[in-house]
Amino acid sequence: MNAAADATLRPTAKGRVGDPFSSPWRRRLPLLPALLFMILVTQLPFLVSIYYSLTNLKDKTQSLIPEPTKFVGIDNYKAIFSDPFFRQAMWTSVQMTVFAVVLSVLFGTLFAILLDRRFFGQGLIRTLLITPFLLMPVVAALIWKQQMFSSLFGILDKVLAFLGLNSVAFISDHPLASIVTVLVWQWTPFMMLIMLAGLQSQPSDILEAAGVDGATSFGIFRQLTLPHLRRYLELGALLGSIYIVQAFDAIDVMTGGGPGSTNVPYFVYQESIGGGFRYGSASAYAIVVVVFAIIIATLALRLLSGLLKDEERA
Amino acid sequence: MKVLVGILVMGLIAVASLSATATGSTKAKTISVAIVANGQMQDIARLTPSLFTKKSGIKVKYTILDEGKLRQITTRDVGSGGKAFDAVMIGPYEAPQFGVAGLLKDLTPLAKGDQTYNYNDLIPAVRNALSAKGHMYAAPFYGESSFLMYRKDILAKNGVKLPLHPTWQQVAAAARKIKTSSMAGICLRGKPGWGDLGAAFTTVLNTFGGTWWSAKPNGQPDKAQVDQPAFKNALDFYAKLVQDAGEKDAANSSFNECLTQYQAGKVAMWYDATVAAGTLEASDSPVKGKNGFAFAPVDKTKSSGWLWSWALAIPKSSPDPTDAWKYIAFATGKQYLRAAGPLVKGGWAAIPPGTRVSTYQIPQYKKAAKAFAAITLAAMKAAPITNPGTTKRPGLPGVQYVGIPQFQDVGNRCTQLFSRVIAGSAKASDALSQCQSIASKAIK
Repeated sequence: MNAAADATLRPTAKGRVGDPFSSPWRRRLPLLPALLFMILVTQLPFLVSIYYSLTNLKDKTQSLIPEPTKFVGIDNYKAIFSDPFFRQAMWTSVQMTVFAVVLSVLFGTLFAILLDRRFFGQGLIRTLLITPFLLMPVVAALIWKQQMFSSLFGILDKVLAFLGLNSVAFISDHPLASIVTVLVWQWTPFMMLIMLAGLQSQPSDILEAAGVDGATSFGIFRQLTLPHLRRYLELGALLGSIYIVQAFDAIDVMTGGGPGSTNVPYFVYQESIGGGFRYGSASAYAIVVVVFAIIIATLALRLLSGLLKDEERA
Repeated sequence: MKVLVGILVMGLIAVASLSATATGSTKAKTISVAIVANGQMQDIARLTPSLFTKKSGIKVKYTILDEGKLRQITTRDVGSGGKAFDAVMIGPYEAPQFGVAGLLKDLTPLAKGDQTYNYNDLIPAVRNALSAKGHMYAAPFYGESSFLMYRKDILAKNGVKLPLHPTWQQVAAAARKIKTSSMAGICLRGKPGWGDLGAAFTTVLNTFGGTWWSAKPNGQPDKAQVDQPAFKNALDFYAKLVQDAGEKDAANSSFNECLTQYQAGKVAMWYDATVAAGTLEASDSPVKGKNGFAFAPVDKTKSSGWLWSWALAIPKSSPDPTDAWKYIAFATGKQYLRAAGPLVKGGWAAIPPGTRVSTYQIPQYKKAAKAFAAITLAAMKAAPITNPGTTKRPGLPGVQYVGIPQFQDVGNRCTQLFSRVIAGSAKASDALSQCQSIASKAIK
């Protein structure tokens, strides 16, 4: 067995010195199928989308007499920036992401601090706290819509009635807040796990020393724990934003779009297969979104690589 | 050597399983059907194995969705030539449009060629609504108009009397008078979607003299009319009535939600599809025998009720059109109606109404549906499908919708805005100006 392995290794080892067959390409050869597959399933469709975005392609059901697809140049792109609904969707996306990320990081940190202590039933509490993250987003949204927010038979309505207050149609009156609530509920456990990892990586001797020196527990948290957690907070916020900016399920289930709840992904969906069936202009929207996403992702990756460098230095 | 044997064995297993699936598929045929999640459809889904599969050997795989989702999926599948469904449930909005665009199978020869199916028994108003240029593109599963349902006992207690042909002003006054903290005066649809809020609202819009688009002489849409005073009057009237005397959480309520509230005694009147009457008068209904019925309320026009039918169509791309027709002939045929009567939970009153003349001659149905059968038929006949408002409409005929492809998207997006107005969280003037820009952009 060993001998066979050696035999296969030897020519490569020798080849590094001057074998004409061992160009860098030969070593990359095994990766080629994967590369081809990638190009086929991601880059070609993207190029086709770019082409579509320059046409007025529509679904066949959208015209009574079949119309030929016309090349319209950059008309679709010009229309995007004059479209108030797209601007509204962008603004909703920003609000939804910022509120959801900030609140879930905040709650996640609080729960992580709680779980960092030993107490009776810790395992059970931890499992319960993680559960929302394990639920399918559609199920989570449905539970909130029907069992919590419903102004006919929702739990919140019962609580309001008990307190002698008028019932509130949460989803109709506050669509953005309702969706953010569900997102925060789902993403808090994720943040909590990241923060918990951060807290548990904190060396206990420093904390003990601070205690001996007479620091208050709030002082310890502010001066030692929080700076230590900074990296984890950034990581959590970054990963959270990447996922939450794509929120779709909760919107579809709870409001089905509309002012205050249509974010950019949902807007593109509405424009294309969600009812608009204007594939040409939907492609243009999608491409604008991709450009924005690349800009944000580049910034995020820079931040992330900065974090990793810090890690190496530390 | 071992590896070779391994490969051989795996190959054999693969071949064996392939042939097994191949023989399996010729033995038991399965067709896929997409239907709406309303009561009558749930009934047929439950009864299909015993009434259809047993005799024909064709299994039916149902996809049951709410109206809005179903529309998205069927439109996408039919339009892209997808093979997901052998039969889809659509209505008079889609059938002629898709049919004219060449996306659906013409059912006329199949229906006429089938002696037991009896094409001429189909109610003409419904059959015509599902046809274009004499070709029927979908077979009606049930047919409906819209009318006003009310609790006779509650109205009497409040000293309110409604004529058989009420006006919207009379209905609004009655609703406001009846309303208490525990009972709403009227249930009106407020849930976004052209087929939800859009349908109920457009009948009000029509009779208030408003319209979505004006029409060119050739029937093409000319200009969006959402910014016109008549449109604003209609929206103000509708939103105000719901806010003053409407159901709780109106912005999330449509047919099924209103049905629940009416049956639970939380609303006194309900303007909606005539098909609801079958459920209200069903043998297991808590409000059986307490209901009065009146024609769709009007303002400037003589009649305002809509015409709709949930009907089954075969997409051109259907993998198995022959079996799909066998299924449609069963589901929309005379025999199913007779077989379903004793089997469905609600009894005879709850069978799918409004599709066949012969349904109204079944003695058991006549007895069970005494309260609403005649007015349902009359309302369907009176539905002003070719001339619903006070001005000429663009596109194909339609009451609660405009028969042009753009209406689906415009209706959906505008009713999202209107739904917020009804909820009181947006101003009517803002919603109307945004909707005007959606409607004018769509026809460019």
